[in-house]
Amino acid sequence: MADRVAICSAGQTKYSPDRCDVREGDLAYEAIRQVLDETGLTLSDVDSAVTTSQDFWDGRTISSMNIQAVVGAHLSHEDKVAEDGLNAVFAATAQILSGHVDVVLVVSHMKESQAEKALIENAAMEATYLRELGLDFLSTAALQAKRYMYKYGITAEQCAKVAVQNRANAKNNPLAQAPMDITVEDVLSSKILSTPIRALDAKPVSDGACAMILTSGKRAKKITKKPVYVMGISNCYEAHSPGERELADCNALTIAANKAYKMAGIKNPLKDIDVVELSEEYSYQQLMWLEGLGFCGKGEGGAFMDSGRTKMGGKIPVNPSGGMLSGKPNQVSGLAAAAECVLQIRGQAGDRQVKGAKVGLAHGMTGMCGQHQCVMILGK
Amino acid sequence: MAEKKKKSEPEYIFVEFNTPRKYRWSTGPYVGKMYHEARMNKKLYANQCPKCKKMLWEPQVVCGRCKVETGWKWKELPQRGTVMQYTFIVYPMWDPHYGEKFANPLPNAMIEMDDGTVIRHFLEETDEKKLKEGMRVEAVWKENEEDRGEGTADIKFFRTIDK
Repeated sequence: MADRVAICSAGQTKYSPDRCDVREGDLAYEAIRQVLDETGLTLSDVDSAVTTSQDFWDGRTISSMNIQAVVGAHLSHEDKVAEDGLNAVFAATAQILSGHVDVVLVVSHMKESQAEKALIENAAMEATYLRELGLDFLSTAALQAKRYMYKYGITAEQCAKVAVQNRANAKNNPLAQAPMDITVEDVLSSKILSTPIRALDAKPVSDGACAMILTSGKRAKKITKKPVYVMGISNCYEAHSPGERELADCNALTIAANKAYKMAGIKNPLKDIDVVELSEEYSYQQLMWLEGLGFCGKGEGGAFMDSGRTKMGGKIPVNPSGGMLSGKPNQVSGLAAAAECVLQIRGQAGDRQVKGAKVGLAHGMTGMCGQHQCVMILGK
Repeated sequence: MAEKKKKSEPEYIFVEFNTPRKYRWSTGPYVGKMYHEARMNKKLYANQCPKCKKMLWEPQVVCGRCKVETGWKWKELPQRGTVMQYTFIVYPMWDPHYGEKFANPLPNAMIEMDDGTVIRHFLEETDEKKLKEGMRVEAVWKENEEDRGEGTADIKFFRTIDK
């Protein structure tokens, strides 16, 4: 990149199944206040706010108006970008690199508890030929999981290991919603939602928010002693119609990752990256995303999981925070992944600290079967 | 059903979609306090910005104008005010709570309450000739507590008063 863009602070709410005590602005402000307090900045110091939220989930067109005051957007610059919160970091990075703004507040909020997930997701489907089939992200993910397992021989046990490992990691994350001590057998005996996905293969309903202050590299040195830099970032879309894609592969993720790697100078992700935070709404996705990101070959996600290399203390710890399976909302997940990478790179991740973490990968995705993918590389 | 067309002509068909999406929106503490005072005491309450001292309608955690946290300083708003601007609504507006049409006509006004706080509400007066900017009005509440609980909608309308 032409110049450096730094993350000066990242804040998150605790993730919760039902924040009925707050409305969207109150929830977002819990995370925003953390980054203002840490940096000593005020909302008046913010040149631009970039937010992600989703109109159907919030039940309001222009859902960013739910948080206008708390992001300092009164008579000021605000953009709401589509897709996951990590996409907002991408937009914020571009804004800073333009040279026209210096301090950007990135915010993502979500209250999954206030609406019916299946109906909201069904409304994401094309209106004249997909929506009428009643599809949602769960049923389409199940088709993707089946296809992935069929094509590459991935087993239900290998997927279940993800569910076990991530929820065990969450025990060391005080912000995690649902840390659990479970076994592969527990996952495999939990109730079927849509074959092959079982209840413990899926993430729970979750509410929460994440905020971040990004600045130019020059400004960051005046704000924080521990800036974390955006080394590379990119995104990519798959086709919407499931029939237009090979569901067992995630080509959009590979394209997004390769662009981010090129910007960051990553030649060998397994060697050059120290910690990975993924957005896995369902357990099989973690295996598939690791393939898409190039940590292993196509169809090798299961064996990669079996090798133990993604465990804490392994070659490439994945989701030390517990990931989405331990309870993170859609929209917020990728930004929260970046926030976790910030903590890891700063050496502030407490009991889940990955030793010597210098380079992190944050991943966010949105839509049916991970249609939209965003990848960011963070470093010192 | 579309009329039968010749083979070479396209069919133009509309797909209807009528599934409602239901929401359960939280008021949060700030709007919740306003709802509570309206329901229990037929009073309008707003919180005050510590910097500009203006009352925030809707009440909230940050003053948008000053970009500062507001805290929890509340004041009761007066129930009388002056019509700043009105519009005489005659098209059939939806009542979003109940999915029905409001009765027409429906004058709707920006009202500057006597402390300077501006709120928007309906006017009782439906004779367009009697409406004017600068007219004095007063809140009329739904009388039964069980009918209240919808925040500003707990006020039926603003009634014209002499002064």
